[in-house]
Amino acid sequence: MATAEWSVKLQARGGSRVKDFLNANLINILAAFLFLLLAFFLLYPIIAVLLKSVQGPSGFTLEYYRIFFSTDYYFQSLYNTLLLGAINTVVCVVIGFCLAYMTTRGPWLLRKPLKIIALIPLIAPPYLFALSLIILFGRNGLVTRAFDLPWQLYGFTGVVISQSLAFIPLAFMMIENTLMSLNPNLEESAYDMGATEATILRTITIPLLAPGLLKASLLIFVMTIAEFGNAAILGGRTPFLAPDTYTVITGESDFNMGSVLSVVLIAPCIVIFFVHNYLLEGKKFTTIGGKPVASEPRKITPLVLVPFVIITTVAAGAIFVCFGVVFVASFYKILGVTHNAVLSNYLDFTSNHAIYNSIRVSFMAAVIGATLGVLIAYVIVRGKFFGRSFIEMVSLSGFALPGTVLGIGYLLAFSAPPFKLTGGITILALNCVFRFIAVGVEAGISKLHQIHIEIEEASADLGASFLTTFYKIVLPIMFPAFIAGFVYTFMTAIVSLSAVVFLVSPGFDLASVKIFDAAVYGEIGIASATTMKLVLIVMICMRVLDFITKKTRIGSSMKKSAAV
Amino acid sequence: MDLKPDEQPMLILKDIHKFYGKNEVIKGVSLEVRKGELVTFVGPSGCGKTTLLRLIGGFTDVSSGDIILDGQRINDLPPNLRDTRICFQNYALFPHMTVAENIGYGLKINKWPRNRIEARVRELLKMVEMDAFGDRMIDKLSGGQQQRVAFARALSLEPKVLLLDEPLSNLDANLRLVMREEIRNLQEKLQITTVFVTHDQFEAMAISDRLVVLRDGLIEQVGSPIEIYERPANEFIAGFVGYVNFMEGRIASIDETTRDTVIHTEYGQIEITLEQDNIVHGDEVLMVIRPESVNISLGRGGNGRNFLSGALKSYMYAGSLAKCTVMIGDRTMIIDQYNPRDAQQFKHAEKVEVQIPRSVHLLKRKS
Repeated sequence: MATAEWSVKLQARGGSRVKDFLNANLINILAAFLFLLLAFFLLYPIIAVLLKSVQGPSGFTLEYYRIFFSTDYYFQSLYNTLLLGAINTVVCVVIGFCLAYMTTRGPWLLRKPLKIIALIPLIAPPYLFALSLIILFGRNGLVTRAFDLPWQLYGFTGVVISQSLAFIPLAFMMIENTLMSLNPNLEESAYDMGATEATILRTITIPLLAPGLLKASLLIFVMTIAEFGNAAILGGRTPFLAPDTYTVITGESDFNMGSVLSVVLIAPCIVIFFVHNYLLEGKKFTTIGGKPVASEPRKITPLVLVPFVIITTVAAGAIFVCFGVVFVASFYKILGVTHNAVLSNYLDFTSNHAIYNSIRVSFMAAVIGATLGVLIAYVIVRGKFFGRSFIEMVSLSGFALPGTVLGIGYLLAFSAPPFKLTGGITILALNCVFRFIAVGVEAGISKLHQIHIEIEEASADLGASFLTTFYKIVLPIMFPAFIAGFVYTFMTAIVSLSAVVFLVSPGFDLASVKIFDAAVYGEIGIASATTMKLVLIVMICMRVLDFITKKTRIGSSMKKSAAV
Repeated sequence: MDLKPDEQPMLILKDIHKFYGKNEVIKGVSLEVRKGELVTFVGPSGCGKTTLLRLIGGFTDVSSGDIILDGQRINDLPPNLRDTRICFQNYALFPHMTVAENIGYGLKINKWPRNRIEARVRELLKMVEMDAFGDRMIDKLSGGQQQRVAFARALSLEPKVLLLDEPLSNLDANLRLVMREEIRNLQEKLQITTVFVTHDQFEAMAISDRLVVLRDGLIEQVGSPIEIYERPANEFIAGFVGYVNFMEGRIASIDETTRDTVIHTEYGQIEITLEQDNIVHGDEVLMVIRPESVNISLGRGGNGRNFLSGALKSYMYAGSLAKCTVMIGDRTMIIDQYNPRDAQQFKHAEKVEVQIPRSVHLLKRKS
């Protein structure tokens, strides 16, 4: 498109040279500016971590890596982390598959309720599950005391359970997506030719979904090993990389070792990223499209039904119990120890102040993040300059990066002049902006793909300058994407813990960090009440988002009929 | 295709109803399909033809009524236990298998020994003229080749009834003609009972022994293509299977021996030979006048009957035929003039004469 043609047209009209140049290149100038921002706030901190990990008192050294790999403790930590990732992935994918199978193939009546249950964990901060497990099975846990259990859930098992519950929705959503993308006629054909449910699963469904399942597995693996909250709260004496990083930095102020741990944590992510791209290259099965038919419910045979129902029920039950327990616990000082219900947890000043701070930080992050997201999406989709895909990759990478890495990166990069930002709201907000920028960018890209470039070209053709076109045509159309990016960023930022835990300063607490501290120090009531407040905020955000999606869908269909 | 008295139909539908929630999509369909017959469900989209096919295949349960296959009630059997085989519109070939694996899938599921599977797959490949393609992956085939594989796969287990759901709609126009002939030839050769679904009325007429015209979940008419085209039961069917000019009239007289009948119309008197016995003297009728049945000329010929005068509004010459739009009074009539001879003169003509044939079919008008 575009820039070249615009400049030709404008020159033909004989505008001034400088103005023409600006008009023709504004998108490139914008792209350059955005790239600098991404480089400074996303790439630079990561590079700072990499450099710190090889920077000894007297220059370059691999000493810290040598220490890491020769210390049993760290080796154990790495082993635990990878094992946790592997187990978690299998558990989440199996449960996610069963749930998604029921919501796409099961009886109509079950589909909606199961889907809601599977998605419920989304409204919870991931560490809600760790908290509820402490309440049930911790040192003073309800179950522990009731049955006088000799063991506690601290350690590996607890982390696996809480992590699995936290990542079920993600697994479910990705797998449901792939299941729905499968032409139902394929399974029906196999069914028609005499295959039983189990045989269809084995010979058709799973082989065809293998790429999608693999993709989901890899993503869940990466996100699990990077997760901080559950492992830190429930890990006990069992070492995991993400919480270890936190201990090394905050406890021992050992930035070199902290950086090494971070790099080790990034490494699997990068390896998997490439494996993923390589594996899925050209592995997409295409079929001739017909009219899309919703999969009709099948007479699912007991052989398949029973295990699916058991798995589904257990997962759904566990999710319910966890929410219920935290809800109840929020009305007691320490549930199971104190016996009179109180509201004081909700009125606690430090907790409310932390919530207030969280809202401020998340709001700031959401405004900046959504704006940048829309702009970045615009230059990625409409720009024609070299390095477009690089910008896309960088902006989307923030989401996959372990939060701890960006936390340390910001500490290293922005704690000394000339870029001193630490100790306030700004660094927290900026950290959230660039960690979650992918959300705004994705929303923007998908919205832009719905708009035909012709609309913009038509505007330019009628003599509008780039700025006018952008202002009058692009912005109004992008507004829903902006709002979606805003709400998403807000609700992701407000529950996020792993990066900001490094960046909060004394006297400026955030809700998620407050919950983390309270849970670790046994202030169960406060932790639960603060969690419930976050749940409420996220629920409100989701309602808003739902409302907007419905509104804009109506809006777009109206536009369509007006065009016809 | 006459049914021998002692022969029972291969497939019987008895008063089938189907509800989706409160929405009744099939409203009481009864039908018998004979062995070896090719019956086509045809109708506008949303008429229930695909739903009916899926009910027969077992992918959806009937709400009430019975499906009887070769004497056995199969309502409660799931698709994998029914001796019916469906061929979907999008072919639904397994993209992770080769052509041969696709065709052999059902045989393998039914635990055929390996050597028999191989032999049967070879035989089927030969039958659909795909001998050389056994090892190909599905996405390396053209649309027509995929169609053949799907057909072979559906035939692999020699089902009692073959169900074809708009199998030709993904092919381009020329290939459609070729493939429909091949399907019909194979079907006749194998004498396989087939239910075919299409929204294309010409395809339906070309391929079928009998047509079942559906509208809104109900059967409008069942009959051979000739019956449906020449003696449609109502206006909807008349208009659905090809273009039609309607003209109102009233029966003025019927000669009981010769069946010579005179119809009074707004534009003059039309004489026909009445072949229906449901029409009596004094009936208000609608004449079903097919565009190709009307003679169009520049002046009245020797036999001056059934001529109506009109104004030629447009004359579109297209080689083998010319499409004429004639105004008779304030009524537009479309006339197809095959093998147009005097095209040059017609192009400049203003007044024409049209001759209504004696074989016109009549519909009774509801008064």
